[in-house]
Amino acid sequence: MRKDEMFDTKKTKVALDVTNLSNFVYDMQHCIKCKGCYWVEHTYMPGVNFSVRCPSNLWNDFDSYGAFGKMRIGLAVEEGKLQWTDKLLEIIYADPLCGACDVGCKRNLDLEIGLTLEALRIKAVKDGAGPMPAHKKIAKNIATKHNQFGSPHENRKKWITKDLKVAEKADMVYFVGCSASYVNPEIARATAKVLNASGNKFMLMPDEWCCGNTLYSVGMVDEARELAKRNVAAVKKTGAKTLVTSCAEGYRMWKVDYPKLLNISTSELGFNVVHLIEVADEAIQKGKLKLNKSVDVRFTYHDSCGVSRLSDPWTPWKGERGWMGMVSPALKRRRGTKGLYTQSRNILNAIPGAKFVEMPRIRENAFCCGAGRGVKEAFPDLAKFSANHRLDEVKSVSAEVLVSACPWCKSNFGQAVKENGDSVKVMDIAEIISAAL
Amino acid sequence: MSIQKQAYNALEAAVGAKYISDDPAICEGYRSGPAGYENGLGYERVMCTIPGAVVLPKNTEEVQKIVKICNRYKVPYVPYSTGFYGPRSHCHVENELLIDLKRLNSFEIDEKHFYIVVGSGVIYSPIQQEAMNKGAYVIIGGGGAQASAIANLIGDGWSPLSHRIGLPHRRILGTELVLPDGELVKMGSLADGADPFWGDGPGPDLRGILRGFTGLRGCLGIVTKMAIKTLPFQPEPLVPTGIAPNTALALPEKRVKWVNFQMPSKAAQVKAMFEIGKAEIAGAVTKVPLFWRAIAKAECKEEFWEIWGKETAESIKNFFIVRVLLIGFTSEEQMQYDENVLTDIMTELGGIARPTKPSDESWIKNADSAGMWLMCGSYVSVDYIIESLSQATQHGESYAELKRKYTPPLMPDNGDPGWFQSFELGHQGYSEFLVYWDHREDTTGVDHFYLETAKMNIKNRFYTSLLGPHQPLYLTGPMYGPNYHEWLLKVKDAFDPLWVCHPPVPLAHDEFVDRAPWMKEIKDWESPKKLPMPKW
Repeated sequence: MRKDEMFDTKKTKVALDVTNLSNFVYDMQHCIKCKGCYWVEHTYMPGVNFSVRCPSNLWNDFDSYGAFGKMRIGLAVEEGKLQWTDKLLEIIYADPLCGACDVGCKRNLDLEIGLTLEALRIKAVKDGAGPMPAHKKIAKNIATKHNQFGSPHENRKKWITKDLKVAEKADMVYFVGCSASYVNPEIARATAKVLNASGNKFMLMPDEWCCGNTLYSVGMVDEARELAKRNVAAVKKTGAKTLVTSCAEGYRMWKVDYPKLLNISTSELGFNVVHLIEVADEAIQKGKLKLNKSVDVRFTYHDSCGVSRLSDPWTPWKGERGWMGMVSPALKRRRGTKGLYTQSRNILNAIPGAKFVEMPRIRENAFCCGAGRGVKEAFPDLAKFSANHRLDEVKSVSAEVLVSACPWCKSNFGQAVKENGDSVKVMDIAEIISAAL
Repeated sequence: MSIQKQAYNALEAAVGAKYISDDPAICEGYRSGPAGYENGLGYERVMCTIPGAVVLPKNTEEVQKIVKICNRYKVPYVPYSTGFYGPRSHCHVENELLIDLKRLNSFEIDEKHFYIVVGSGVIYSPIQQEAMNKGAYVIIGGGGAQASAIANLIGDGWSPLSHRIGLPHRRILGTELVLPDGELVKMGSLADGADPFWGDGPGPDLRGILRGFTGLRGCLGIVTKMAIKTLPFQPEPLVPTGIAPNTALALPEKRVKWVNFQMPSKAAQVKAMFEIGKAEIAGAVTKVPLFWRAIAKAECKEEFWEIWGKETAESIKNFFIVRVLLIGFTSEEQMQYDENVLTDIMTELGGIARPTKPSDESWIKNADSAGMWLMCGSYVSVDYIIESLSQATQHGESYAELKRKYTPPLMPDNGDPGWFQSFELGHQGYSEFLVYWDHREDTTGVDHFYLETAKMNIKNRFYTSLLGPHQPLYLTGPMYGPNYHEWLLKVKDAFDPLWVCHPPVPLAHDEFVDRAPWMKEIKDWESPKKLPMPKW
């Protein structure tokens, strides 16, 4: 390249540090309104129906609810040109941070949309505007009862039944999570059953606390970091080499956001983080988990965000940005390609007797259930809207059963089905594996 | 900032409280820049502002009501479909109403008569999938798969597939247009209530007012519905494969296939396109800028520059590619015939077939315009013309020459003459010149280059697409008319006497030059001291 054809651009320091929104000014400045964050990736575009992947902007049509609008808003907030108001908080928080926008943008532009949205919430909290009242209540529950529902801490292990084998000591620790512990115990039981059947000896945390997903997701980064420190230390103390979850949100939290909060890479956690999907897939491939019982249903699969586009491992990065926006040292972008897309489908295709059908929007293009990351609690209308929209898609492929890999998805879909009087049955992937044992 | 309270209340009554807002956070989401097509330049910084309010109509009737209210209360407004077309489709004056048309998303397809009818919010990729489901196809314009089909077709609407299908206005079979005063006009065969089978209606053909060559950017009304011609495609499915960002359509090779040929010279490149057209084969024939290949190969911005940095002016000068899409529209035998003819042509001209993947990454369903921003961050197509094949290449070369003076801030591209291709089986040659820069830098040179291209075209007697709203009307009008500017302003006055519809277009670029101090040094044409339009 000829030097006289280039500007001598001054290099600026930058880091993938969500605690400072200014790290993402370049990203906010470079959104081009292509709406790759909004539409299903065009190669996979199914037609005029189910063409959108952004729950927030489908719920509210104004551009501000799409990531492209939020990039402009974020820049105005960072520059002090826009003040926090109830409407602004709604725009920022009525969003399941499902990562659809992030992978959409990284199809072409490689902007850090997901991290920018997280940083914007952290700034809202720092500025004293966020989070929403419902989130503050959850934070209080976590601080006092160590779970987000405010249930008695001593009930956390009530899901365990006598037929399940839980070891005192093992290389694998099952982190159950608040939802499966208190609200969806059938998922915890099915997970334990699958682990037992596959010969994976597992233990539980001696004193499991909430993972802090909601705290981190709504921008309460200090509280979330304290939980991360406490929980990581607790796992290390058990001596476990592998931590398994049955919750997509918990999986993402342990694998991505804990390292992010602790400024380490996922590989530096000191133990592996896996979802049941990975354990079951490997066990089936190796012949250790035998699915022999016929499950006579037509079912479809919902890619929960935490085990799909949001689950690429985390590596801290800081460096400089210079001419044409290039960064150094090399930055390996997280584009959602490491999701458990194949593993989950390997399992589902191995269920005897069942007919597995795909929905129009799958994998990185999947439409979020709308429950996660503080939405269900603060914006139940949005959560309900998203679930119903996805259920329309379930019905479009004539599925009798909807399978997901996250208790939050199951709860949200289940509630919508109940309210609508639909006939679709909602199951967790652990349950359908368990049904085939 | 907001619009008058009485006007707001009337609009709210027309669409419902849920679909109108003047909240600052809502309006901020409709800012044009700082990035995007043509954004980050002086025009955007000087001429654009956020709306005073945003309204989301659901149908043509609501659009008519809104426009009539705007006329009654003298509220300036701009129509907006996806917002992708940069500053020229955003608010230009204070307290302006932005009419977001995304809820006009109706879609009908007539399989038997090969047409679709869409609303302003419907984008291309779903249309293409629906068409393919019925054995038909449309062209996804260079604006991209995410562009509103209506907005794209009243402005641009071409792609490499225009080699066979041709000029976009021929595919507009009927249009519903809300005039700047709210009156509804139906064009083409829709005008007398017939099916949308014929674009020319009774009486004068208003499509010239609708789009001219590259459109009037919303200053002469709002298109709310359009019937678009579809054409028969081959029947085999094109299967999406891969995980983003590496996705593509797997092609049924006996029916659809891209083939790249390396040609020995520019003359052979042009001759090949001409001969392919003459033989009436192929679905697309094109030459694209070499750095697009680097974009396709690169996994990230940094890798792009690593790849592109190895090229030189000499390597670009001697690189002549012809990219051909073969489609067996009627049968495998027809495909084989096309391929045999193509091989004969290329053998005669010394074209060497290069290994080509059996997939389509861009053009059939995913016209990948968003990828244009990867390497620098900012982009605009500074001109696009339709000439003869031989003249189209000269157009690009003249731009490349002028561009040297403005590099930087423009991206170093080693003199690449841009994109050119065959239109309508070689009857026309298309040339598009694209420029890239980083809008964090001093962009004065880009502003100057943009305007200097108009002067260059005038001096060299080249045609240009960027008349009217894209360049100063008083620069281009007298030269291309000689009274084009007067004609256009009379049309504007007649249809929009209050100038409520997207002011100050079509005099926006004139006003920009007047208002931007750094443009004074290159203003060497006559214009009125006071531009003939109401002041907002």
